[in-house]
Amino acid sequence: MIWLVLGVTVSALLAFTVGYYAGISSVEEPLPTEEDESFTIVDDYGRSITLEKIPQRIVSSAPSPTEILFAVGAGNQLVGVDDYSDYPAATANITKVGSYPLNVETIIALAPDLIVGSDLVPRVQLEQLEDEGIPYVLFADRTLEDVLKTIRLAGIITGHVEQANSVAENLSLRVDAVKMKTLAENVSKPKVYVEYYELWTYGPGSFGDDLIALAGGTNIAHNASSEYPNVESEFVIAQDPEVIVYTVGVMSTTTADSIAARPGWDNISAVENDMIYSIDDNLMSRYGPRIVDALEQLAAIIHPELFS
Amino acid sequence: MDHLAAQKDSETTSEEYLRVLRRRTLILSALPFALLISAFLAVFIGTAGPLGPGVIDQEGHHERISFGDAIDAILNAHGDWPYDYHAVFWDVRIPRVLLAGLVGAALACSGTAMQAVFRNPMADPFIVGVSSGASLGAVVVEVTGLGALVAIGTIMSPVFAFITALVTVLVVYSLGTVRGRVYVDTLLLSGVAVAAFLSALVSFLIYFAHLEYHRIIFWLLGSLAQATWPAVATVALAVGVGSMLIFLFSRDLNALLLGEETAHNLGADPEFLKTLMLVVAAVMTSAAVAFTGVIGFIGLIIPHMMRIAVGADHRILLPSATLAGATFLILADSVARTVISPNALPVGIITALSGGPFFLYLLRRSRTESER
Repeated sequence: MIWLVLGVTVSALLAFTVGYYAGISSVEEPLPTEEDESFTIVDDYGRSITLEKIPQRIVSSAPSPTEILFAVGAGNQLVGVDDYSDYPAATANITKVGSYPLNVETIIALAPDLIVGSDLVPRVQLEQLEDEGIPYVLFADRTLEDVLKTIRLAGIITGHVEQANSVAENLSLRVDAVKMKTLAENVSKPKVYVEYYELWTYGPGSFGDDLIALAGGTNIAHNASSEYPNVESEFVIAQDPEVIVYTVGVMSTTTADSIAARPGWDNISAVENDMIYSIDDNLMSRYGPRIVDALEQLAAIIHPELFS
Repeated sequence: MDHLAAQKDSETTSEEYLRVLRRRTLILSALPFALLISAFLAVFIGTAGPLGPGVIDQEGHHERISFGDAIDAILNAHGDWPYDYHAVFWDVRIPRVLLAGLVGAALACSGTAMQAVFRNPMADPFIVGVSSGASLGAVVVEVTGLGALVAIGTIMSPVFAFITALVTVLVVYSLGTVRGRVYVDTLLLSGVAVAAFLSALVSFLIYFAHLEYHRIIFWLLGSLAQATWPAVATVALAVGVGSMLIFLFSRDLNALLLGEETAHNLGADPEFLKTLMLVVAAVMTSAAVAFTGVIGFIGLIIPHMMRIAVGADHRILLPSATLAGATFLILADSVARTVISPNALPVGIITALSGGPFFLYLLRRSRTESER
């Protein structure tokens, strides 16, 4: 009997978790609106949000929405940003509202008319703020295409449609310029391993996976079973990547030497041929306009022969 | 009539006793073989094969190392392989299997000794603060970026974890000792309180420094992914000396189970024994945990499992638990290495997931049997 109860409970929990993740929907096209009247938008979770007017007091609860809002020219509409938001430099003068968890009291005190969140932010807190009459939209980007859509959506929300469209257009041109070279027919697709921490890499459905493909590489972890997996060391040895890229941030301790010195890695092609490179952590991990910088850098690393 | 019944009873008792003794000897002599077989098997289990899911190539095929190539790669440094097979076995898998065996042995052996010293079924190797102390050291290295400061950065975590673990044990030990006398219940409660305090510090540091969870989850859940030959050598030394010392005192641990006064009357020195066992277990576990993070359940559950299987005589129980701990962690890690491959899984999750329910089953069964 005990085992039955335990078994049922555990399976129910598992089923619930799986169902929850399966329920996360894809991006939908925003609805076009007029500037001076109430309008409805649909966010990346398929939620319809009606705004009375264009919000002038926005709180961003993650670094990527912050970067997007600044890029579309809505930086001066921001009254609060999360603790991690540190780009562009103007974020230094904006009130910090905690991270995960958010400081709900600070946010309420700022009297914002919109909160922009990402899927990192606890939903419970956002719903709590919604109960206080502060609506929220969620950006949940998974690919570079999503980012361009989100930038356009941010333009509609903040009343900067033209600037947002031109930013998206410009980024799109830069992406196409890279793709023209990397996705040309006769271009090789070297095996690439990108890690953001020792043996933690980008799996299928993640941004890194998308970027590697666009940069003309084959992600060795493309068949891993999660978006940001921790992989076995022998998996990397067995995949024998030709290029290794690691991200560098404030707390990173990884170096090209430390990668080459890992047990059994000395005969990996990338190590033998000195093809180990670093890339700025914030470029790879934030789904804002700078993701195109990451793409350009990654493409130049994987295909030095195409980008001189 | 009464006399006859009593005689019959004593006959069955001695028959029963012989049966139990035979079973215990059988289990003890089977354990070394179980260990050898699982270690041998584990070397062939892994992402790249032969026993494992294999690595998916660009055409979507699962490429596995064949058994022939595996043996070839174990025996030869160079060969006609698509990638470095030799490194897979000698640089990654063999040190990892050895470290799993050593750490499993260390945890089970010191867990058994701690349960005897504390005369408490809840005692485990971490009871005097080893795990929380080691975690604090590892988190401090991560938060301060000490690992990046020096060329030998990779050994900073184990070194720091080892030192903080031992300092923690020292603090707990002095809290539980008054004028040279070790009060086990005070020691136990001090251990719990200090561990709670240090865990709070660890949480605070993680939260305050915005430490991303993948930087520390390895520590908190326990993993053998950092197995290197120097790690194997260090832990081997600690476990070799430590377990021998504990084995030498198995008779005294038996005496201690009867109470400190009785132990004293039987010729054991309880104060010396308790201190020695604590120190040896602490050093052994700290050395193991320093390289693997906190692998739970083995040190608590294996001793109990073996007590159900071979009885409470430490001369049989200690070596049995040590061998069983080694075997169990080797097998658990083989699962951890392959079950969601190429993703890695912290082995601590496997030990808890498999050890917990299995132990509960044994516990219920032994209880219902003794009620009959």
